[in-house]
Amino acid sequence: MFKILRDLLRYNIEFAIGFVLTLAIFLFALAHFWAPLPDNAIYLLPPDMPPSAQYWFGTTSRGQDVLWQMSSAIWNTMLFGLSVTILSRLLAVAVGMISGYLGGKWDEFLMTINDTMIALPNIPILLLVYFVMRDQMSWPVLALTAALLGWNYDARLIRSVTLSLRNREFTRHAVFAGMSVPQILVRQHLPYVMPVIFFTAMNNLIWAIGLEVTLSVLGFSDINRPTIGGMIYWANQHQAIIAGIWWWIAFPIIAVVLLFLGLFLLAISVNEYIDPRSRLSRMGA
Amino acid sequence: MLAAVENKPASVEAKPVLRVEGLKAYYQMNYFGVRREVRAVDDVSLTIKRNEIYGIAGESSSGKSSLIKTIAGAITPPLRVVEGSVKFDFGGKELDVYAQRPAMKAARWKHLSYVMQGSMNVLNPVRKVKHAFHDFAFKHMGLSEGEFRARVESHLQRIGLDPRVLESYPHQLSGGMRQRLTIGLATVCEPEFIIADEPTTALDVLVQQDVLALIKGVQQRMGSSIIFVTHDMTVHAAIADRIGIVYAGRLVEEGPTLDVFQRPQHPYTAHLIASLPRIGDTRKRVALGGKPPNLADPPSGCRFHPRCPLAVDKCKSENPPLLARNTGRVACWRAGEVEAA
Repeated sequence: MFKILRDLLRYNIEFAIGFVLTLAIFLFALAHFWAPLPDNAIYLLPPDMPPSAQYWFGTTSRGQDVLWQMSSAIWNTMLFGLSVTILSRLLAVAVGMISGYLGGKWDEFLMTINDTMIALPNIPILLLVYFVMRDQMSWPVLALTAALLGWNYDARLIRSVTLSLRNREFTRHAVFAGMSVPQILVRQHLPYVMPVIFFTAMNNLIWAIGLEVTLSVLGFSDINRPTIGGMIYWANQHQAIIAGIWWWIAFPIIAVVLLFLGLFLLAISVNEYIDPRSRLSRMGA
Repeated sequence: MLAAVENKPASVEAKPVLRVEGLKAYYQMNYFGVRREVRAVDDVSLTIKRNEIYGIAGESSSGKSSLIKTIAGAITPPLRVVEGSVKFDFGGKELDVYAQRPAMKAARWKHLSYVMQGSMNVLNPVRKVKHAFHDFAFKHMGLSEGEFRARVESHLQRIGLDPRVLESYPHQLSGGMRQRLTIGLATVCEPEFIIADEPTTALDVLVQQDVLALIKGVQQRMGSSIIFVTHDMTVHAAIADRIGIVYAGRLVEEGPTLDVFQRPQHPYTAHLIASLPRIGDTRKRVALGGKPPNLADPPSGCRFHPRCPLAVDKCKSENPPLLARNTGRVACWRAGEVEAA
C-alpha cells in the first residue's frame, strides 16, 4: 500500500497534485473538531471584520469566524457528498451488473425502474420530499433521498460494460469451470468495471455536493448546520454581496472548487493505476 | 514389452470414454413471427476411446464448433439439443451430459476441460494469471493454498513456462505463452477428457508446432482423451489418431488419420485431401464448385450432392447412413468409388 502510494506520487503528477490538495482540504476540515467556538454559536465575535491577522478569512455578519465556519462546512458537505456517492454506487453497481449479466426478465424489470427514474426531475422531487417530511428531515434522510435519485445513469453505463463482458471468452470459460453467478460478477467482472465506478463516483460526488449547495442556498435544509451551501444562504440573507462582505462568499466557493479539483485529479490518476494496461504504459513498460 | 505398456498406460481399456448417440442440436429461433431452424448438428454418432486424440475437420460453418460445444454441454439458447445423448465415462461412472446436469457441473474442469475458440483471450485482462488458476481449478483439487500453488508451479514448469508468469497480467505475455497458459489451465486438474476448439488457430506455424507438441505430450503423460476441432488439415495430420469429417452438420467420414489421408472414401474428403499442397507438386489445385449449404434450408438426401461429381439420382432423395467400411465409417451411396477417380 505504502509502495503503491510512493510510486503514484513519483510517476504521476496528477496524482501528486490531487493527493496534496485533497489531503490539505481534508486536514482543514478535520480541524473543526478543535474549533475554539461551537460552530452554531452566533454574535460572539465582532461582525463584518475583513480578513486580518486575527481573523484570517474575516468574520461574518452573524459574528462568526469564516475560517472555522468553513472548516465545519467542508466537513459536513463532504460527509453528505460521500454518503450519497457510496449509497448510490452500491445501487448503480448492483443494478447495472445484475441486469447486464442476467439479462432477460431481470434486465427488463430493473431497466424499467431505471428508465422511469431517469425521467423524473430531481430538484422538484427533493423539494416535495422536503415539504412532506419537513420535521423529520435530517441530513442522512436527505442523503438517502439524493442517493435514490442519483444512480440511474450510471447503472445504465455499468450495465453496458457488463453486457459486453458477458460474451467474452473468459466469462464463458468461468461459467464452464463452474463459477457461480456472484463469483463471476465479483471476481471476473468487478475489476473490469472498477475504473468506470471510480469515474462515475467522482461525477456523482460533484453532483451531490452541487445538489447540497443548491438546496441549502434555497434554504431547503437544516440551516443551523454549517455547510458550504448553508454559508452562502446566510450570506445572501445578510445581503453580503451588497454590503461588500465578499469574504463570506468567496472563501467557501474557493474551498469547494479546490475540493472538486483535488478529487477529480485523484480519480483520473487512480483510474490509471486500477487498469493494469494504462498503468504500465504510463511507466513506460 | 514393459516399455510399450508405459507408453500407452490406458489404451487397453476397451470401454469408450465418450459416446455420442444420434445427437441432433438445432439453433431454434422464433423472432417477430419468423421461425428459423438451423440444423447445425444433425444425427451425429461417435465414440472416443481412452487415450485417443480425435480430430474433427470441416469447412467454416459446417457445424463443427456447434458439435463440440454440444458435446461439452456448453450450449446456450437458441442452440438446443433436440434428440440423442452425450455420455461420458469418468472412472467407470457413466455421466449423461444432458440428463445429469448437477453431476456434470461438478465433473467439469476436474474430469472434463474445455479450451474454447479464441482461447488467446481466455484470461481476464485486468487480473493476474494466478487468479485464473485459483478460480478455475482450486476447488476441484481439494488442496491447501500452499500445496495448490506448488502444484500449479510444477505443472507450469512441465509445460515450459516460468512460474513467474503467475504474477503477470495477460497483456504482458506473448501470444504463444498465453496459448500455453490456456492449455496449462485446462490440464492442471489432469482431466480425463479435453475438448479443444481451434487450439492453434491464430498462431504462427512455429508456435503452432510447439503447442501441438505440448498438447500431445500432456495427453500422453496423463493418458487422457482429446477431441479437437480445426479446419487446418496439417494439424490433424500432426496429432490426431482418428479424424471425423463434418459436412453441413453431419459426420460424413471417420477413420484412422493415415487411412483417411491415404484412402479417402467419401468424395468430399477426397477433395479436401486433394486440395492440400504437396512438396514437389506444382500442379494447380482444383477448387470444388459451389459453397457449403445453408443449414437453415439444407439440400434433400445427401447434403453434399449439389457439389458432388459422383452424385446419382439416389443421392438427391435418400440420405446415406454412416456405415462401417474398411477401417472407418463413411456416409455415401458411392463410398469407395472415389478411390478410382
